[in-house]
Amino acid sequence: MFVHIFANRLRCLLRDRETMFWTFMFPLALALFFYMSLSNVGKGEAFQEIDVAVVNDSWYQENQFFRTALEEASRGDDRLFNLTLATGEEARKLLDDGKIKGYIIAGDPPQLIVNESGIYQSIIKSFLDNYTQTFRAVEKVLENDPRIYQEVFDSLGNRKNYVKEAPAAGGKPDNLVYYFYTLIAMACMYGSFFGMREATDIQADITPLAARINIAPVHKLKAFLSSTCAALLIHLSEMMILLAFIRYVLNIDFGPRAGYVLLTTVIGSITGVFFGAFVSAVVKKSEGIKVGILIGVTMIGSCLAGMMYIDMKYIILSKNLPFLYWTNPVNLLSDAFYCLYYFDNLNRYALNIGALSCITVLFCALTYLFIRRRKYASL
Amino acid sequence: MVVKVSNLVKRYGDLIALDHLSFSIKEGEIFGLLGPNGSGKTTAINCILALLKYDKGEIEVFGEPMTPESYHIKQDIGIVMQNVAVYNELTVYENIDYFCGLYIKDKALKKKYVEEAIEFVDLGEYRNFRPKKLSGGLLRRLNIACGIAHKPKLIILDEPTVAVDPQSRNRILEGIKELNSNGATVIYTSHYMEEVEQICSRIMIIDKGKAIATGTKEELKAMISLGEKITVESYDVSEQQLARLRELPNIVSVEYNEPLIVIKSSKGKNNLENVLEFIKKENIQFGKIYSELPTLNDVFLEITGKELRD
Repeated sequence: MFVHIFANRLRCLLRDRETMFWTFMFPLALALFFYMSLSNVGKGEAFQEIDVAVVNDSWYQENQFFRTALEEASRGDDRLFNLTLATGEEARKLLDDGKIKGYIIAGDPPQLIVNESGIYQSIIKSFLDNYTQTFRAVEKVLENDPRIYQEVFDSLGNRKNYVKEAPAAGGKPDNLVYYFYTLIAMACMYGSFFGMREATDIQADITPLAARINIAPVHKLKAFLSSTCAALLIHLSEMMILLAFIRYVLNIDFGPRAGYVLLTTVIGSITGVFFGAFVSAVVKKSEGIKVGILIGVTMIGSCLAGMMYIDMKYIILSKNLPFLYWTNPVNLLSDAFYCLYYFDNLNRYALNIGALSCITVLFCALTYLFIRRRKYASL
Repeated sequence: MVVKVSNLVKRYGDLIALDHLSFSIKEGEIFGLLGPNGSGKTTAINCILALLKYDKGEIEVFGEPMTPESYHIKQDIGIVMQNVAVYNELTVYENIDYFCGLYIKDKALKKKYVEEAIEFVDLGEYRNFRPKKLSGGLLRRLNIACGIAHKPKLIILDEPTVAVDPQSRNRILEGIKELNSNGATVIYTSHYMEEVEQICSRIMIIDKGKAIATGTKEELKAMISLGEKITVESYDVSEQQLARLRELPNIVSVEYNEPLIVIKSSKGKNNLENVLEFIKKENIQFGKIYSELPTLNDVFLEITGKELRD
């Protein structure tokens, strides 16, 4: 009997175009939309080399320290400047034509000539101030011990940055991945459309179809579980395709813990399906109202989880609203993905999954309580 | 007894939907539940099927109390709902196969039954159609096929011909008679008295949740005083003539709604002849004249004081 109901239910759900759209096509389209709109967000923040000129006079040519410092800052892929050597007049003309942000006249201290103030001009100024300070320090050291000249000169070229941003779990630091995590969490909750259908089609007081099932010699809960298994299989398959699409087509990284990512998706899918079943069992209104509730709760949940504004969940915590944080399945799911990506231990992940599991068990238990009725007061 | 209902009471708050309803159905009968909309027919059916809670009474099906867990009893029941209950995503064949499969586990037998059901409702050429592509009549036939494909011993049809064209209606009624002749006991609810008269071997008239009369159609008609209804078409009759007409033997009532004079008489001989003689003697001009035996509507009217279709 399980196979009979399961197989027919698969057929029914796969042919339900509306549900398939919301649970499958819509998240895929949204992922693509996210990718297209977010892929340019980082580019605006990327550093552009500063076009700058230096007056190539005798002072500049004779001052090896200053010349070396400028040439080093204008070399390689991560250079600071695009440096042009020019006469004083040429440099002035380049500046007036807007082809450079400023030009430098070597000296002690070096001078910076600009037409306007801005971020680029401030960076050039900072570079020159930094050079002047360093030069003074070196000058003082060499006054005390001229024998370490070469040692000091070499050490200037070996400056190292000892701090580097890197997620402990091994993924590249990228806040934008969080938007995709909220999208996956939202797609998990869209499994509620399947759950709603399953619970609706088993309650005789809602549809004549359900009444017909209730009259058949089949245990009601067995019929419900058989058809819910079909719904879960379809939704899980949809989620796997969505994950594969985001990971391999859009190249969004999930970090190294693929197994946990899949586990989280499975739990999310179960939560979504039983959330829909719960709403359908409890709300005795039309299908349109139930769909409205499902979409509304999921979208508000997604918003509070940071789908539209990444810092939303921190705002909720800072406003002392932990209830909203811990009872929002979309937030728990997206934060679980975030933990897998960024954190080296699984403590916070376990908290998220624990809370999510509690919510899922609650949905299951309440759904059971409402649909277990075998006789109705009215039809 | 296939079905035995004793003192069934069902309340919706202050409204009494079923008021100490009792009846029995023997094997092989086509039992008609006749009553106006809202009289309690569907409520009674839902109670028999253990879908609906009731306040008082006992229900036995095939000699055993009917409960939601009576799967062995449910195995032999087929239900055709008032509202079409099929999956829109499945084809005609798949729908019948699905519902038949809830009762029949043997695949070969199920396939045979499904084919027979399709043939029975004459939906062979629509077997791969989805319900949305079917007309109202065809949809009703699919609804019936889903309910009877597993060859139940007891078939309950709850207003199966609502919103069905006359051709499909006749086909459905003939089908029900065929199912009955093949051995099934049938419960048929309707507010169409012609249908009930046409196919039912025994009829219970129900109103406001109460059984007001039960019997064969002949027995029901015998319960009332009306013996004959004579209708005369005439534009030329006076109040004095109508008064004299009322004084004829066996005449119960005379009503004149121009141009029809409706004369109701009690059981007795020569009623039509007496009326014809009176018209001739009074020299009343008339168009057509005809006589009818009482219908179930007359039975309902006489017992309740209102028309069945009110």
